[in-house]
Amino acid sequence: MSATGFTGIVVIVLFFGLIIFFSIINKEPEQKNIRPIPAYDKIIQEINIAVEDGTQLHISLGRGGITGPESASALAGLSILKQVIEKSSVCDFPPIASTGNAVISILAQDTILGTSKAISVADQGRNPSGELVGVTPFSYAAGTLSTIRDDKVSANIHTGWFGSEVTWITTAGERQSTPTIAGTAQLPAQAIIYASASDPLIGEELYAGGAYLGAGKIHLASISAQDIFRWIIIVVILGGVILNFLGIDSLVESILAGSM
Amino acid sequence: MNIKLNAPVSAAIAIGVGIVVLAGYFIPSINNIRFIFLRTGLVLAAVALLVGIINLLSVHFKKMGAETENSGYSLILVITLILTLIIGTIDMVQTYLVGQPNFQMSNWIFKNIQLPIETSLLAVTAVSLTYAAASILRKRMDLFSITFFFVILLVLLGSFSIPPATLPLLHVVRDWIVRVPALGGARGLLLGIALGTITTGIRILMGTDRPYGG
Repeated sequence: MSATGFTGIVVIVLFFGLIIFFSIINKEPEQKNIRPIPAYDKIIQEINIAVEDGTQLHISLGRGGITGPESASALAGLSILKQVIEKSSVCDFPPIASTGNAVISILAQDTILGTSKAISVADQGRNPSGELVGVTPFSYAAGTLSTIRDDKVSANIHTGWFGSEVTWITTAGERQSTPTIAGTAQLPAQAIIYASASDPLIGEELYAGGAYLGAGKIHLASISAQDIFRWIIIVVILGGVILNFLGIDSLVESILAGSM
Repeated sequence: MNIKLNAPVSAAIAIGVGIVVLAGYFIPSINNIRFIFLRTGLVLAAVALLVGIINLLSVHFKKMGAETENSGYSLILVITLILTLIIGTIDMVQTYLVGQPNFQMSNWIFKNIQLPIETSLLAVTAVSLTYAAASILRKRMDLFSITFFFVILLVLLGSFSIPPATLPLLHVVRDWIVRVPALGGARGLLLGIALGTITTGIRILMGTDRPYGG
């Protein structure tokens, strides 16, 4: 086994152990001691507004599939979709979900059906919809625009994999004067979202949706596990800098290479 | 007694396949099984595209009947989708009859319709990006937004290569920004994304997040 493979196994086993550990020691399933992320506060606020005003939320899940590096952001988007449907079950109009990938579209419809059954939305006509609006970046963006421009839509949540076409989607929300909460894993698109969305999600904030929207103890535990790993990475980077400064980094590298 | 079996079964299949695929990365002896699962996944994704196209058609058929201002666009989409499908099928039949690849009509559509449209949209994206960058200070007047705005300005000015607008000092500043703070920031964001990706994957392997089977 290569050194990279061994490190990978260690990281995954440690992560798994830490998530189990934190889910056991955290007795309460409510969020405590986690820093506020304004975008998630805004989502909860917008759900309440949609309930009071009889409007609906639009959740776009991007155009990432499940077989590439973009899958995690698409799955994080689905997790947020589930929470939003649960919390907005008493809305006059259920949320609309749009996507640019066929597999995610099917998963979105499955999430919608499963969540609607779980919260006993008996009226099938009131079930939220999951739409595939286009299969190329620009056709997806163009297809999403018509939903954003719908007068019934009071807020747009864009969570998933987007490219530079996200600027169309976010600026359309701004033109409609509706709040736009957006996050993606692609770096150039993150910069665009920071500039154009009213409430951006930066970096790993996208993956924390479940913990902030009340998905349960495991989601909160995974945030704690991430924090532990963040500190480990900080220590490793600082250690590397010190070793480099002392001029013994190549010695450590050769020892590690020899031992694996 | 009504016992629902599909949710536990689908969860068990998803978790089992996920664990095997993950283990395949680290244990070379089960690499073949990993590839079988991945190839099956790709075939299923291709079938999902067909289902997705049907979904796309049904969504736009509904929008056409709704008499909204966008119903015309849905009509154009449905007509062009059906036309492209017919042309693609004719091309495939011709290919079968001739015995060698012959996608002339489909290629004509891509070269003369899709490519120019997508290129035009890319040009509009450049305008849209400039607008977004210019309006950031109107949205959020805080330290990070001000920094973001001025860094964009500096990098843009430093990127000019037309002689009257070229300033050597700005080139140096631009290079430093791109090499040091921008690269460091990007690495930091990527590390965060990697941690988020791992936790999302583990939650799915644990069955906590189940975007399948209800």
